[in-house]
Amino acid sequence: MTSDKFESLDPVIHSQVRLAVLSILITARHADFNYLKRETGTTDGNLSTHLAKLEEAGYIQVKKSFQGKKPLTTCALKERGKAAFARYLRALESYFPAEKK
Amino acid sequence: MDELQAKEEIRLIKAMLEKTKRATAESGTLFMVWGVLIALALVGNYILVYFKKYDWEWLNWVAVTVVGWVYSVIYGIRKERKQPVRTYVQTSARHLYIACGAGFLFVGIALPALGVYSYEAITVLIAVVSGILFFVMGGIYEWPVLRWFGLLWWMGALGMSFIKGIGSRTLIFTVLFVACYLVPSFILRSKYKKERTSK
Repeated sequence: MTSDKFESLDPVIHSQVRLAVLSILITARHADFNYLKRETGTTDGNLSTHLAKLEEAGYIQVKKSFQGKKPLTTCALKERGKAAFARYLRALESYFPAEKK
Repeated sequence: MDELQAKEEIRLIKAMLEKTKRATAESGTLFMVWGVLIALALVGNYILVYFKKYDWEWLNWVAVTVVGWVYSVIYGIRKERKQPVRTYVQTSARHLYIACGAGFLFVGIALPALGVYSYEAITVLIAVVSGILFFVMGGIYEWPVLRWFGLLWWMGALGMSFIKGIGSRTLIFTVLFVACYLVPSFILRSKYKKERTSK
């Protein structure tokens, strides 16, 4: 039997790429753009769009710097992002059958 | 959104967590380097004892420690630059290595040189710090085997404290070092290689 009340999922996180990014950042202090691109299997433009959405929501912090002459973009999860991710996981649980007591 | 989609999302989260874990697995390189350096120092110690050149023993350990620290710092900086992702686990482990490295410097060189205790106590205290290193590392990386090696180091420290004579203690320390340092270092290295190839 599934739960009668499904909790609504945060639309900012409810996307495969954004969920994957947050799942990486939840255990990482920071991750660079190329790593996120490789692990989420997306393109530069697509990832940039998703990162911008997460940044706008205040979930992540995007830092642009240089490593030698190469530009380096790193992302880190903010406290607000951690809380949102935890809420998202709790909401996901409501889609699973209720445990028998 | 239904149960199937929710399961798919959970699978995705788990996959990403696993990828990060693999990408930041402990390589064991520094353990191997320090292992080789300490092994060389122990051999050097035996040679010095054989030729009754006891006054040079401290230089042997200082040389190894300086080489080890210089290598560790350069390795750490280069790794930090190359690493595309850094986890809280890695940060905790790095602080543990620095703390234990400082601990080894204090108990192995600084405190006996200042006359706080005799050189005979060095191996016992080094074993205590080694126990802390392996026990905490086992906790950080969720690898119980390392915790057992930590306990063995502590048992070795207790055992050594009942034995008199720098020669006998050094011999026991050598056995402890091979069994509880070199063996887990090789296990760590092979585990890392296995994880990297299973990517």
